[in-house]
Amino acid sequence: MMLIAGTVPIADMPLTLGEVSAEGDFLLVDGRCVPCTQGTGAMVSAALATTDYLKLEAPQVLLAGDTGQGKGSRKLYEYLIRNIAELAPQVLALHYWLPNIVQTRQLCDAIKECARRPVMIADAASMYSAKATGLAGDFDIFTPDATEMAFLADPAATHPAYVQRHLIDTDIKRTPELIKTAYRNGSAARLLLVKGAVDYIVSNGEILATVSEPDVPVMEAIGGTGDTITGLVSALVYAGLEPHEAAIIAARANRMAGKFAQATPATRVRQVIAQFPAVFREYLCQWSGVCYTQGVKYD
Amino acid sequence: MAFLKRKKAAFEGAGLVLFNEVSDAMQAEKTLKRAGYQVKLVAPPPELRKGCDLAVAINLVEKLGIERILRQSDVAYVEVAPLRIDTSEILEIVRVTDFGDWVMVKAANMKLTFEKKSGVIVNTSGGGCPDIPYLHAELIDKPLGEAPRPGELGFTLCALMLERALEESLALYKGGEMP
Repeated sequence: MMLIAGTVPIADMPLTLGEVSAEGDFLLVDGRCVPCTQGTGAMVSAALATTDYLKLEAPQVLLAGDTGQGKGSRKLYEYLIRNIAELAPQVLALHYWLPNIVQTRQLCDAIKECARRPVMIADAASMYSAKATGLAGDFDIFTPDATEMAFLADPAATHPAYVQRHLIDTDIKRTPELIKTAYRNGSAARLLLVKGAVDYIVSNGEILATVSEPDVPVMEAIGGTGDTITGLVSALVYAGLEPHEAAIIAARANRMAGKFAQATPATRVRQVIAQFPAVFREYLCQWSGVCYTQGVKYD
Repeated sequence: MAFLKRKKAAFEGAGLVLFNEVSDAMQAEKTLKRAGYQVKLVAPPPELRKGCDLAVAINLVEKLGIERILRQSDVAYVEVAPLRIDTSEILEIVRVTDFGDWVMVKAANMKLTFEKKSGVIVNTSGGGCPDIPYLHAELIDKPLGEAPRPGELGFTLCALMLERALEESLALYKGGEMP
C-alpha cells in the first residue's frame, strides 16, 4: 500500500488513518472531511486521481489537524515511529508538518527496522527536516521548487527563510549548479524533481531530463500545484514506474492539467486536479508506454 | 556518556533565544513551556553569547510564534538566532511578477498573488509548514487591507515570509506603483 502522511488545516482534527476517497471538492477519510486545498489535501487528491485512473488501491492516509502549533505534527511523527514497521507501506510519502529534527531521526531509524524498506518520498517541511537532520540520503525522492533547491544547496540552512542570498539570486539557468552542490553536501535524495519554469529530473546528481512544456507560468501562483506533483509522482511510483519515469510523467501531467484548466493566477488547485483524468486519458499511454483500456493493461 | 547525549539533544532545534539577563532566560523557558513549546535552557556557544550564559534552545522554525509569546508576556530577549553561526541572515529579498491583471509577490519561499484592480488576494503558494494551508484558506478572497495578518495568525518561518509578501503587496497596492 501507499501511505501519505501530513497535517491538514483543521485545528481539532484528531490523528486519522484510513483509505481516502473523494466526495465532491472534499476528501473523505474515516468519516472525516478534508478540503482539497493547498498542502496535504492537494497532494492526496492528485495521488487519488492517479490511483483511481489506474484502478489501483486508493492511498492510505495518516492525517492530523495542525494550524502551526505543532501538536498534530508531533502526533504524526509519534504514530509513524511506533507503527511504521507494522504498517509496512510500499511507498511512504511525507508532506506538511512542523519539522522536528529529533523525531525525523527517530523515524528514519524506525524505517530501518521495516522488513521491506518503503520508497521514501518527501516534500514541503518533511523535506526540510530530512535535509536539516542530515538524512537526505535516506530518501528516494525530494520534490523541491527553485527556492527549496537553493535551501538544499546551502549547508547551513535549516529552513528556506535562511538561505544565502547569492543562492536565491541565482538565475534559473544556474539550477544545475545548485543541484551539484546539494549532492556534494549530501543534502539531496537519490532522485530530485526540481519544480520550476524548467523542471529538472535528477538521479544521484545526474540530470536525466528536463520538462518545460507546456509552459504555464501562472502555475507558480496557484497554491497546491507543487503539492500535486508530489502526489502524482508518489502514485506513479506506487503503480510500478521507475522513480525517474514517474517524475518525468508527473511533471508533464501537472503542466498539461494547468493548460487543460486554462489556468490563471486566480485558479484553485482543485480545478487543476479535476483535469488529471482527461490528461491521463490523452497522454499517459503515450508518455509511459503502458496503456489501459477500462482497467485492462496492454502494452 | 548520558550527559553528552542530553547536551546534543538540547541543540536539535537549530535555534536559540538569547538574553541579557539569566532571569529573563528562566522566565522565557517557563513561559514557552506553558504555551506548549518544547524548549530547553542551555549554555549558548561563546560566539553567540550576548549578555548572559543562558539561552533557550528552540525549534527555529517556530520563531514567529515564540517571539509573539515572549512579547505578549513581556519577557525581554535580545534575539532569536540560528544555532549555526555560518547560517545566513533571514532573507529580505522580495520579487514581483507581473501576470497582467494580477501581481505575484514572492518573499523567500512564499508567494502571494492579488488582483491589481481590486486588491483582492486570489492565491498564496509555496512553503511547507502546517500553518501555511490554514493561512491560504484564511487569506484567499480577502482584500489586502482587510486580510488577517500571517504574522499574527501564523507560527512559523513560512508564515513570517508570507507576512513579508503581504506587507510588500500592500505597499505596492496602496502606492499604486504596480508593474
